[in-house]
Amino acid sequence: MPVSLLHSATFRPYILMVVLIAILGKLGGERVVCSRTLYSVLQQFSLLGPVALALGLTMMIRHFDLSVVGTVTLAGCIAVLAGAQSPILGLALAALAGLSAGAVQGTLIVRLRLSSIAVTLGGMLTLIGVAYLLTGNREVAYANRDIARVVDSALFGPFSLRFVIAAGVFVLAGAVIGRTRLGPQLYSVGSDPKAAMVAGVPTGAIVFAVFALSGLICAIAGALLSFSLAAASPSALSNILVPAAAAAIIGGVSIGGGRGTPVGIAGGVLLLCCLQSGLTAIGVAPFLQDVATGCVLLLVAVMDGAELSRRFEDLKRVVVPVRPKISGSSV
Amino acid sequence: MNSDTDLPRAAQPDFAALKARITLGNAVTLLAVLVLAALALATPGFLSMPAIRSLVTTVSFTGCVAIGMTFITLSGNLMSFSLGASLSAATLIFVATLGAGLWPAILAAVLFCAALNALQGWIVGYFRANPIIVSMASFAIITGVATAVTGGRGLYILTNVAAGLKGNLGPIPGPFAAFAICMLIAQLILSRTALGRRIVLTGTNPRAMLAMGAEPWKAVVWAYALAGLFTGVAAVLMAARYGSGDLQHGIGMEYSAIAAVLVGGTAIEGGRGSFLRTFLGALFIAVLQSVLVLRGFSTEWQRFGMGAVVLLVILLQRK
Amino acid sequence: MSAVNDKLAQSQTRNPLLSMRGIGKTYGEVRALRDVSLTLAAGEIRAICGENGAGKSTLVKALTGIVAPDEGEVWLDGKQVHFTVPKDAQAHGINLVSQELSICPDLSVLDNIWLGALSLPFFHRKAELRARAADTLKRLGAGHITLDGLAGRLSTGERQLIEIARMLVRDTRILILDEPTATLSDKEIHVLMSALKSLRAHGTSILYITHRLGEVFELCDHATVMRGGTVVADQAVADLTRDRLIELMLGRVLGHMFPEHHIAEGATFFAINRLNVPGAAHDVGLSLTEGQIMCLTGQLGCGADEVIRAVAGLVSHASGRITLDGEDIPLGRPEVARRRGVRFVSGDRAEEGVFIDRPAWENLVAPRFVERSGARLVHNRALRNEAAALADRSTLARHRLPVRTGDLSGGNQQKLAFGRNIGDGAAKLILMIEPTRGIDVGARAEIYRLMRDFCERGCAILMASSDFAEVLGIADVVATMFRGEVVKTYKTGHLDMTRLIADVTHPEEEDA
Repeated sequence: MPVSLLHSATFRPYILMVVLIAILGKLGGERVVCSRTLYSVLQQFSLLGPVALALGLTMMIRHFDLSVVGTVTLAGCIAVLAGAQSPILGLALAALAGLSAGAVQGTLIVRLRLSSIAVTLGGMLTLIGVAYLLTGNREVAYANRDIARVVDSALFGPFSLRFVIAAGVFVLAGAVIGRTRLGPQLYSVGSDPKAAMVAGVPTGAIVFAVFALSGLICAIAGALLSFSLAAASPSALSNILVPAAAAAIIGGVSIGGGRGTPVGIAGGVLLLCCLQSGLTAIGVAPFLQDVATGCVLLLVAVMDGAELSRRFEDLKRVVVPVRPKISGSSV
Repeated sequence: MNSDTDLPRAAQPDFAALKARITLGNAVTLLAVLVLAALALATPGFLSMPAIRSLVTTVSFTGCVAIGMTFITLSGNLMSFSLGASLSAATLIFVATLGAGLWPAILAAVLFCAALNALQGWIVGYFRANPIIVSMASFAIITGVATAVTGGRGLYILTNVAAGLKGNLGPIPGPFAAFAICMLIAQLILSRTALGRRIVLTGTNPRAMLAMGAEPWKAVVWAYALAGLFTGVAAVLMAARYGSGDLQHGIGMEYSAIAAVLVGGTAIEGGRGSFLRTFLGALFIAVLQSVLVLRGFSTEWQRFGMGAVVLLVILLQRK
Repeated sequence: MSAVNDKLAQSQTRNPLLSMRGIGKTYGEVRALRDVSLTLAAGEIRAICGENGAGKSTLVKALTGIVAPDEGEVWLDGKQVHFTVPKDAQAHGINLVSQELSICPDLSVLDNIWLGALSLPFFHRKAELRARAADTLKRLGAGHITLDGLAGRLSTGERQLIEIARMLVRDTRILILDEPTATLSDKEIHVLMSALKSLRAHGTSILYITHRLGEVFELCDHATVMRGGTVVADQAVADLTRDRLIELMLGRVLGHMFPEHHIAEGATFFAINRLNVPGAAHDVGLSLTEGQIMCLTGQLGCGADEVIRAVAGLVSHASGRITLDGEDIPLGRPEVARRRGVRFVSGDRAEEGVFIDRPAWENLVAPRFVERSGARLVHNRALRNEAAALADRSTLARHRLPVRTGDLSGGNQQKLAFGRNIGDGAAKLILMIEPTRGIDVGARAEIYRLMRDFCERGCAILMASSDFAEVLGIADVVATMFRGEVVKTYKTGHLDMTRLIADVTHPEEEDA
């Protein structure tokens, strides 16, 4: 794992979060810094976290998974529709659907050498289309109301089952990346795919695996969300891409690939959730929160872009002999 | 003296060029068009006036946005997720300024939309920020600000000022004529002006542009500005047609637009394509939608159909 | 050819470890490799020599699975093998340290060393890995490099050592090194030589690609000399001399390939003062008169390319002073450089030089689109006529004009890249990097003619090239470079190949 990054990008969101909480606390006093807000933050994390992780992982290998929205939506619908009798069955089918969707897209990207944006754009539209088909263009209520309580009620402290699962996904990802040989291989694919291939890294397999995993993670999050709401709708989630991308980039992921850690992404997610929950607690209207999140994303995009240009310059400056390696925007 | 160092392939351009045209992609396209045409003609009610009118009107709105989107795609920046939000905002501006007269309102809406997108183009081009992310962020900001300003409600046109825009140009519905004219203007810009050539070359190879001493970011700003311009036209047409400015107008527009662009055959990675293609692509999708509706397929099937078509087109586009 | 085959037959009776027979590789229209054969015995160090474009790198890429050969066979241990992916080669114990460094800048040094090693266990046993990596680095004299630092922060020489270390921590039977010492200091080279010798003593075979004749004689047992994609000699090093080696590598330089030189003097037309490109070149100073072609030359990492790019304005952190025809040119602003008359022909044709997907004629007139303001209407017919005229002057056949640029040969593409500046009355200085890389002999001669004609009209050319024969043939003035500094400047006629090679590989403290 890139060690020196630990001193900057990964912990940056946590430092910012402390500052943010201090500011919000000043502004809102007890309304803000209370257990209800904390619970709200953690609940939001349960959805946004896994999605940001999935998106972040694809960004780390220098791709971009637009279809996360579609996977979350479709998985929610499948879980509700198929899980009428047994929530476990619903969850399993949803997870399977997500995994397959990711796997198919990954195959197309690797085998046909297509741009991941293009493939996942088509994938997203198709997945949402299927969601519409399955639900008949209406919101579907989930008969099993109890499950909502199971999923959302606190297991201990303010931590619900949903949150624990979401956090568990992060822990797993962090462990795999940090402790196995897959970690450096993953970063190498994002940092310099040609160099990775030459060194002997199975780049195609890694790209495929990341997209499949992205589908799986989003599907689980989507299924749990639908259980929590006891309803699934094919049209509810249009705007999750913005905070997910923002969280990932704040957490140290770069559009150019090769950087970022699950811990950092978690930090970015928590920061945004604190921002949103805090603003809601103070009484700021939701659309203004959208504006705030959008501005944050714009800012980090600009900074990331400038940094990327500089990295590219650095690469070229250190005398790469025969053919300079171009990153351009392969996203 | 010339050194004849080329392969025989390049030395027989005519025959080779002809053969190159008959690729798998083209064959599939031809087939698809024929199938769709057959389906359409066989569908009861397709050739009726109301159906045609409806088709022609909706295609004009999506089509103009698609023309705007094409500029962005050609410049190498994939697509913009905020064109729909720009459109909605522009409809609001249009209705809000109608008091000053029809043409000032049109000007205001179109220029506003162009400026809004030019700003995004500057961020993408100058700072080399990722276009997808910038457009996503802009979508959130524009929607949020517009909601804040309007309180979520729409603005309604109370006078008859804009009635002219709903009328016909001879036998052709006004909006469709506008769409066709937009396509022609855009194509003219692309193939006949230095700016258009610069946009295409930037989309093909921004590094080579930089090495030639051109400033690629300027071409990108112009591409986005033009995208905003044509989206503004769509906004004016929509506002006139529905009699209101509303945030709902633009929802999902960018997906239909990019579908039209891709189906038409413009390459997603930029540098290749034309507005005639987008025009035809928009028509293709509109006909497909109309056929589905007339045959009784629900909106869900339409959505699914659209998604599947986009995916298929992208798969077929690989070189 | 038959002499080579005889030698081959002889060595094959000695039961070689590795045997490559009849390897061929064609890229589009260029035959990079033609009927190449080579053998390697266990515990042998074999040099592969040849100038740029001879096919050395392509050969080893074909061996290690990075590219697939179109013809030929590879035999290892008496069995035929077929590698499609570097991993396959690694599984058989063949590892390549390539010329293009494949270090991932965002990973730590430790991760880079172990990247892709098949023997790596799934769960990191960090301690063991660190120990072996540290040990290997020490053996290479690079013990000062911290394992946890980011590889992106290292100098090129250090990266080179990391790459070598990467291959050494694997079980390697055949180690291939492609120009490994270009970026290393003398001390590092010395340590590397010892390390390689000790590897040989342990039975590892080594294929050593190099320009540096001293190393061939110090290290290698046999030498395979390549030229123009084929093998021209395969001999024991003991049977060779320096001069004979150079002669084999370069062959007979085609006398009529290079036009006449420009001898006349004049006022300084173009000058560089104290140019610094951080990390690549420092304190570079030169001057050109009108009509001159000056060439910066050196090995990998000498900084020549960076200097050219800095003058073109494509390097953002360069500093120094550049003057063209009396006007200062600010650095880092390619659009301003263009306005002052600087034109740049990139060494990376496909990615930066031409627009690959556009028709050829459009590449010729591309500057028109840049010069005109946006709304000006473009008359296609006039443009095509202009393109046709330019094509004639660039010796490009007119029937190639509508062809997609990527489908043309390298030579024709380069004519487009250069030709677009010919009709440009405002062009005063053309910058070029590796102007004839990947271009066949006939087209080369034509391009040299174009370059000379351009200069006759009161302009100048500054180029960077690592093709030494080309440098000696075309340049009026040569500036040799080593490690980012200009070693010496020579007028035509005052420099020969031996001197050139010495300057760029081992510049002496003081010259006679």
